Amino acid sequence: MTAAKPKAWLARLLLALLMTVTLLPFLSMFTAALAPSGSYPNGLSWPDDPQWNNFVKAFEAANMGQLLLSSTLIVLGVVPISVLAATMAGYGLAKLTGGRNKWIYLVFVAGLTLPFEAVITPLYYEVRAFGLLNTRFAIILPLIGLYMPFSVYWMRAHFLNVPNDLTEAAQLDGATRWKEFWLVQVPLARPAIMSLTILLFLWTWNQFLLPVVLVRDPSLRTMAGALGAFQGQWGTDVPLLCAGSLLILAPTVLLFLVFQRHFVAALLQGSVKG
Amino acid sequence: MRARLSIRLLFGVALPVTLLSGGALAAPSCGADPVVLNAYFETGFPLPTKLAEEFTRQFPNVTFDIKEDQFANLLENSPRTLSEDDAPDLIRLPTMSDLVANDLLANLDPYFTAFGWDKFPPSQLVQLRVEQGGRPRGSGSLYAMGINYSMTGVFYNKELAAKVGMAEPPKSLTELDAALAKAKEAGVQPIMQWNKATGGLAFPLQNLMGAYGAPEPINDWIFQKDGASIDTPDNLKAAQHLEGWIKAGYFPKDANAIEYFQMMSRFIGGEGLFMFNGDWESGNLDKQAAGKFGFFLMPSVEAGSRHAAMSAPLTFGIAAKAAHADCAAFFLNWVATNPDARKINVEVGGSNPGGPADMPIPAVTPGSVTEATLAAGQVLAKDNGAMDFIANATGAIFAAGWTPELQKMIGGQQTADGLLKAVQKEYETELSR
Amino acid sequence: MNHGTPSGDTRLRMSRLFPGGKSQKARATAVLFVLPAFTAYAVFVLAPLVMSLYYSTLRWDGIGKARFTGLANYVTVLTDPDLLSIIGNAFELVLYFTVIPVLLGLAVASAIRGHMAGTFGTLTRTILFLPQVIPLVAAGIAWSWMFASTGLVNQALTAVGLADWARGWLGDFDFALPAVGIIGAWVLLGLCTMLLVTGITKIDPSLYEAARLDGARPWHEFRYVTLPGLRQEIGVCITVTVISALASFDIVYIATGGGPGITTMVPGLEIYRLAFAHRQVGLASALAIVLMVLVLIAITPVQWYAREKK
Repeated sequence: MTAAKPKAWLARLLLALLMTVTLLPFLSMFTAALAPSGSYPNGLSWPDDPQWNNFVKAFEAANMGQLLLSSTLIVLGVVPISVLAATMAGYGLAKLTGGRNKWIYLVFVAGLTLPFEAVITPLYYEVRAFGLLNTRFAIILPLIGLYMPFSVYWMRAHFLNVPNDLTEAAQLDGATRWKEFWLVQVPLARPAIMSLTILLFLWTWNQFLLPVVLVRDPSLRTMAGALGAFQGQWGTDVPLLCAGSLLILAPTVLLFLVFQRHFVAALLQGSVKG
Repeated sequence: MRARLSIRLLFGVALPVTLLSGGALAAPSCGADPVVLNAYFETGFPLPTKLAEEFTRQFPNVTFDIKEDQFANLLENSPRTLSEDDAPDLIRLPTMSDLVANDLLANLDPYFTAFGWDKFPPSQLVQLRVEQGGRPRGSGSLYAMGINYSMTGVFYNKELAAKVGMAEPPKSLTELDAALAKAKEAGVQPIMQWNKATGGLAFPLQNLMGAYGAPEPINDWIFQKDGASIDTPDNLKAAQHLEGWIKAGYFPKDANAIEYFQMMSRFIGGEGLFMFNGDWESGNLDKQAAGKFGFFLMPSVEAGSRHAAMSAPLTFGIAAKAAHADCAAFFLNWVATNPDARKINVEVGGSNPGGPADMPIPAVTPGSVTEATLAAGQVLAKDNGAMDFIANATGAIFAAGWTPELQKMIGGQQTADGLLKAVQKEYETELSR
Repeated sequence: MNHGTPSGDTRLRMSRLFPGGKSQKARATAVLFVLPAFTAYAVFVLAPLVMSLYYSTLRWDGIGKARFTGLANYVTVLTDPDLLSIIGNAFELVLYFTVIPVLLGLAVASAIRGHMAGTFGTLTRTILFLPQVIPLVAAGIAWSWMFASTGLVNQALTAVGLADWARGWLGDFDFALPAVGIIGAWVLLGLCTMLLVTGITKIDPSLYEAARLDGARPWHEFRYVTLPGLRQEIGVCITVTVISALASFDIVYIATGGGPGITTMVPGLEIYRLAFAHRQVGLASALAIVLMVLVLIAITPVQWYAREKK
């Protein structure tokens, strides 16, 4: 570090530039959101008479209260079950099987690079056959399945690094094994579980394709899916659209700011492992 | 579905209904129990919602659950939406043929009889009739109703018209060309037109088609009559004329980045001498800038010959799977026949409300754009020059044919001839499926 | 990322510990642990995948009767000029989604080469990660506004006297796809930068010392120390960004809808439109399978590159 003084200066400049570029779109949206509703504002100009009321209007137009509830319900439906199933499977694959059964793991991993678009058409007909179309389950159940490759991969990687002695100390039959899993393994795996929870929360909250295809009613969708519908309905009014978009992305941004350290760690590790 | 309906027709409905159209003894109604009509409307057009509000006022047991989406999305979503179990009772239909072919729309013939829609001028409903199997359109059973009957032409900015010395609306294509050239010279944006998301250049194109040729062959093509083609000598002349306008720089440079509503706000904001659009904007223009804008029908090549213009019902259908089909049909009938509804229709929508031939069109403010468009409608009716919109020929022709090809054309990547050939090819591919 | 060894180890010990019938029981326990995850995966991924393969051999509008057409849909995907250029668009997006973030990330990382501590570090991390936290749809809306006729991009160009360059970016035949690419680059930039900045701190500083003692110039230092040291992180960046380019949907859906013409249409959006709007379920499924295979083909060499650690 010490030897690279001039470069450190350059680095800061570069970073400052990147940060500016990152923030500009938000800023531009923010000033547009304050222009009179229905007008056609300029890219970045503080309006003479800021219409803070636009946020109230957008809050009502977007039905934000309902959206928050819906997204929360979907996250609660997806994340705990996914994390639990993946933790169990990760443990099972890392500690209880091997060799001949490695194919199960490989089958999971094969799904890691699968684009959701590759299965969206049959998913539509499948969900329809289950009679779940236009319900939150149409998003919740498929997402649990679609998250399994990454989640299982993630948890297995964690359990591989747990020393085996620990497992052997608590060898025994199924029931005991179950107890050991809950009392010994899960508490030890807390950091990995925490990161996985954050990642799945973000991915679910921001999921767009599934809600757009499988759920027509925006009030039953995720935030991102509802934003798509909001754009369909209010895209005609730039200030209102900008205000609504900012409101819709506010919850995750707020959570992110509060738990910044955990989020960054999870996202960095998440991409390395994925 | 149909069985239930006929039973209700046979035994009458539980409660007496005052029917304004008269004639039918016991027609379908909304009953007295609470009903929530599931509706799917188009974003940016307040008329159906306003009508729904008035309907709820008159029939408090009926409320509406309204979803809205932009036209392009509506176009893409309607087949899927209609095939699902909780399909909408009322839906703004972009196109019909494919939907009828797939049995997704309710056949409205029983309502036609029950409500006495035979008193409506038959020409109003002709575009809404489809033969079994989905083609051709223009005859067969009734599968939709118009909330109103709109018509397209050219809006102009009166102030800018004075600036470029256009004293009165052009009476021939030559005069229109002259006005365009003068505007360009004077540094006035000659035409404000959208071309993003959906191909708004289809409006001037079809108006030009109507100026060069007769509407009948175009209607045949739209109705999917056997052997019909869009690639005709007349249409080629029209497309070449449009290409000339593009090359002369009459359209905004960034037309491919202008969406419909952006066009509206820019035109209302004073950008653009002309705008090719429909009378559904008349009410809006009167409200936002009374007296600033005028309207004329697209002139023919030579002054005084027959006018032809796109004129289509604002089409609403009922899903074959609709839970409240009777109530939805009752609503559609009410829109055409209730005096209050007709008044809202003209004031908000700006178009002819249709309905029985002997019902008067509600009065409008003299000198308004609405008055001009309604009058133009009379001229068009006299010339028998109505044609459906070329984007309504098949379910995908707008999204997969006209829009990309017109975007290419204005981007200098498609010729007039290539445009018609590409669209015709897409049309034939779709019909062969 | 040390696969294999521990589990192999476990197996050996387990077979020693649980001979005969007991190992059967152990296996049953293992099955119970894996079963819930596998069921969800099988029902909502494997089964649809098999159905996708099946649909791809059909001519089906999703409602009426289906006809078997063999590989005809695949022939269409691989010969239809429009579909080919749509696939080409996805690969062109890789240029923006991948190259810009990786190059800029490398530049920043090699300039900093150290931990970003203190308030500035926290601030940087927080801001650069923002695009990762918001929905892609929101990024699409924000940038549609940036690129609009009256948006910030044109405003800036006009301000510096380049008014001639101002245009409706997302409606321009030459610039719409690059504009979409820039949206993707914006989203992925922070992630790649932070990955590489974190990665470079793990390189042994003595390697740089040694290089400097050998009289290496900065470029050589970068070429022979930084790049090999960041092999794994670069591999990760490329993998993540290539997948998001090839499988892009959200951004394009919001920003351009595929237009003008089909210049920004990508396979993900085309699959959606073919399947649900144009009712060509068979063709959509064939395109879906092709997309999946293309992603695998594009990712595999990157994985080899990243794994090869020495």
